[in-house]
Amino acid sequence: MTSGDGKDHDLDAQAAEYVLGTLPSEQRQALARRLQHEPALRAAVDAWERRLQPLQELTPAQLPSDYLWQRIERSLDGLSPAAAIATPSRWWQRATPWRWTTAAGLAASLFMAVVLWREAPAPVPTYLVVLVAPQDQAPGWVVQASSPRSAQLIPLGMAEVPAGKTLQFWTKADGWSGPVSLGLIKPGERVEVPLETLPPLEDNQLFELTLEGPSGSPTGKPSGPIQFIGRAVKVL
Amino acid sequence: MTLSAPAFDYEDHLAACARGDRQALRRLYDVEGPRLLGVARRLVKDTALAEDVVHDAFIRIWTRAATFDPARGSGRGWMFSITRHLALDFLRSQERDVELDERNEPALTDTGELDGLLHGARLTQCLDQLEPLRRACLVHAYVDGYSHAEIARKLDSPLGTVKAWVKRSLAALRECMG
Repeated sequence: MTSGDGKDHDLDAQAAEYVLGTLPSEQRQALARRLQHEPALRAAVDAWERRLQPLQELTPAQLPSDYLWQRIERSLDGLSPAAAIATPSRWWQRATPWRWTTAAGLAASLFMAVVLWREAPAPVPTYLVVLVAPQDQAPGWVVQASSPRSAQLIPLGMAEVPAGKTLQFWTKADGWSGPVSLGLIKPGERVEVPLETLPPLEDNQLFELTLEGPSGSPTGKPSGPIQFIGRAVKVL
Repeated sequence: MTLSAPAFDYEDHLAACARGDRQALRRLYDVEGPRLLGVARRLVKDTALAEDVVHDAFIRIWTRAATFDPARGSGRGWMFSITRHLALDFLRSQERDVELDERNEPALTDTGELDGLLHGARLTQCLDQLEPLRRACLVHAYVDGYSHAEIARKLDSPLGTVKAWVKRSLAALRECMG
């Protein structure tokens, strides 16, 4: 029980409206972010969850369609740990010239990179994707897949993401029924995306980054505006 | 009334999920899927969208099972909260787009359903102490996902008044329940 302290009351009132569901979107997202690192707020939210949960008994159950579990299983199969374990690459972040690369320079750089890889005995990239902004075609990210098992998503700059939003990475080959999420991406973050659970990369396979809410698309499919988009090209 | 049904150990199954046991997730789905779909359906008002929410919820339950902490609440309540907040995130993010759409909603006056279903719960006793209309605001916000604006429209009351009502009713509830 809190008593008297206005700050505690404020915190409790916010927690209550968060759990009740009446906080507007932006305040909701802001509070959800604070939950990560404010134990007092989290405790207040937990207490409100417990207080109000009996109300859920008011809602009758509804049998899911036969396909829902299959869909969940498919998603589990394709689950990418990339978003969770992604670590920023320091050498990349230091390589500032890349960040200012123009489209022309980018092409040259990629060519050089491919040549270098070709000369090395190390893994050879078989597919490259340049993800560009749909409005002005400015390149923002590169995907390189140097093995069938994983691809790297490499930022070419610091993409601007509004507060409370996040970038979600998707791919879809021509024959697929819909895009598959490859995880949430932070601006300027280089990530290794495992591909073992997906069919082999194809020529012309679509990759895109969409702007979604802080926990990703609520529907499991891209729901926000496309920020960067490109198709896979075989380079060798 | 608590959220733990006696025969099924949610916490055990969540721990198994954290160890990568997919059968455990399947059992949680069999036991709790229909209820979670009902909750999501009532919030987002569309079965296909509700299935999307439950899909996302089970992926989240699977990937975050290791973070479940029984000290903070029951396993069943945790799954329920994940589902409900995903549905609320969706509802609130759509708000600006559907603000003017009349969703097909029941009137904000009947709280008769409370009586039978929540008999004996502390929450019910405390809700009973609120004026019927204010009680209805809270119940419909919680189970139907109404925003302040939707409540105001339903009651034909100024938005500021509704916001103050909700705030005061929650404070009264807190006072009553401890």
